[in-house]
Amino acid sequence: MGYVSARGGLDAIRAAESLVRTKRLVSESNWLEEDQILDKLRLLVDRVMSEAGLWDPRLASKAIRQSEGDATEAVHLLRAYRSTLPRFAYSEAIDADDATVMRRIVPAFQRVPGNQLLGRSVDYTARFLERTGDDDAREEAEKLRAAQTEESRDIEPASEEIAPRRLMELLREMDMLVDRRLEDDPEPFDITRTPARPPAPRSALLSSMARADTGALVNQWYRNILGPDGYLHEVTLGEVRHANMPLNVRHPVTGETVTIMQVRVSEVEAIEDLEGVEEDRSRFDVGYGLCFGHNERKAIAMANLDIACHRDAGRTQLEQSLLLTTDALDSAGFLEHLKLPHYVTFRSMIERKIAVRKARQRRDA
Amino acid sequence: MTLSDLIDRHESGELLDEFAKREIRRATLAAVAIPGYQVPFGSREMPVARGWGSGGLQITLAVTHDDDTVKVIDQGDDDGVNAVNLRRLVTSSTGADETTTASEATVTQSRHRIPEDGLDESSILVLQVPVPEPLRGVERDMRELARMHAEADYSRMWVSLYEDKVRNGVITQTTGYPCLVNERYVVATTPIPRWDIPRLHDAPFLTLFGAGREKRIYAIPPYTIVEPLTFEDVPFEVEDSDGARCSLCGKSESFLVSLPNSTTWLCSDTDWCARQRGSR
Repeated sequence: MGYVSARGGLDAIRAAESLVRTKRLVSESNWLEEDQILDKLRLLVDRVMSEAGLWDPRLASKAIRQSEGDATEAVHLLRAYRSTLPRFAYSEAIDADDATVMRRIVPAFQRVPGNQLLGRSVDYTARFLERTGDDDAREEAEKLRAAQTEESRDIEPASEEIAPRRLMELLREMDMLVDRRLEDDPEPFDITRTPARPPAPRSALLSSMARADTGALVNQWYRNILGPDGYLHEVTLGEVRHANMPLNVRHPVTGETVTIMQVRVSEVEAIEDLEGVEEDRSRFDVGYGLCFGHNERKAIAMANLDIACHRDAGRTQLEQSLLLTTDALDSAGFLEHLKLPHYVTFRSMIERKIAVRKARQRRDA
Repeated sequence: MTLSDLIDRHESGELLDEFAKREIRRATLAAVAIPGYQVPFGSREMPVARGWGSGGLQITLAVTHDDDTVKVIDQGDDDGVNAVNLRRLVTSSTGADETTTASEATVTQSRHRIPEDGLDESSILVLQVPVPEPLRGVERDMRELARMHAEADYSRMWVSLYEDKVRNGVITQTTGYPCLVNERYVVATTPIPRWDIPRLHDAPFLTLFGAGREKRIYAIPPYTIVEPLTFEDVPFEVEDSDGARCSLCGKSESFLVSLPNSTTWLCSDTDWCARQRGSR
């Protein structure tokens, strides 16, 4: 009977698993090394770590390999793995000014304290698809490698900068900023332990966005620019940084602060022109974005949406949208659950359609 | 529990760390103490995707021990792909036995159905919940939703049911019918069919609702008043099969699903159906 054969059962699941696994592991091409993923697909690794909310490039590379390049699936693997581990410690607060900057752009001024540092970026590279064959590419790589060792290793260190002064500080000195620094230092909201719902503290909003799906944040930003939600402007960016930050924990025995690792982050400060009737028209305000890895698109969207949400002040449901609709696993999982059997609910729906018709017939009779 | 205990437990293939289980148990106890109230909890990511029973799975893992017996169904079927998948995760990580017979199970996890029979005072029913908020159809803003529940202000729900009845001649709500629990909170009854709603009222078993994606747990403790929202002069209607009988067991007193041609009907509870055939 058709109904019975449509039931999958354990055999079908195992066959599907085996098909995926075999096709992935057994193929003509070489085994994909973790180092290759770390190296050659570094931006994908960064994106996956950022959306997983877990800094571990090696694990992220394994996840990307296992998921065959499906970023959201890789995020799922990492977060589900994280669920099996107890949490032993909390890191200490990081001062973002302790970071070493590898790239730093300040669009708001021509010249700024510290340097404009273009760094490793394709921003001004013409997007021509390179159609060179593998052999030519290898040859070029060898030439570049040779040139690099001959010429200068010292270009690299000089192209990094420790804690250039922030534009925000300058604007503060110019009395150009609304001051909303807090006197107290509240513990940040932990979105992994407490579900964030509006109204939520700013730390809940920022951590939700830091872990959000990149595409979702970009879409939220754009639908506010061009779509139905007009809650934000094209702000002026004060800082766009790609930096290495030290991560510190307190030693469980000695109580001393110990740096256990460096994490790379993208950090953005977005300067907003205040034009609301009840706002200070003589000053600017600033939105903040920070996420794991090199992902400027995400950090810029985040900083824009942070200030937009502050200015919105609960008037619309922007905060709810950001807190609840931007997580990659929430949205993708729910979307894909539509593939599950729904024949009980559908049966109930058909029954009501017939009930409505019968009610109409009774009325019209 | 020491640090090394925690690490050992992880290495034994558990899906949740001990702290998470304790947190889920605490939230579950709070849910039982306030029937129908949606208790927030720090929902973890599971090996199954959110929307695929991750909330139900977390509850089941937190309440199941190796001396338990679990039944897992999807649409009433023990052999559905999703049921099979969840069952193997539960049994392999808890060491519990499995069964298809509800009366033998101490914990039954289900999507979209309550077993036709067999649940008693020794049973826990865990229902997977996609949308825990019963009022979302009438209000989208969570701040306002929180106020409505806090003040038991369900007036807009009543108005929407009234308008539905006036416009369509019947109340068209299909599954997940809104119910008032313990004369206090309106809950979303997952999407179980209306057929199953009367069995929630004054039930001998404990029902736990887990919404992993929306990070909410709520409960209907045993022997709780559960009333579907309807009007004094508009009786609550379960699904009508117009006298149809199951093509396998010949019975008409279970929830039936039809094939697309609508002439062949089958029990949705496959274990119940098999037992009817055995006893015939």
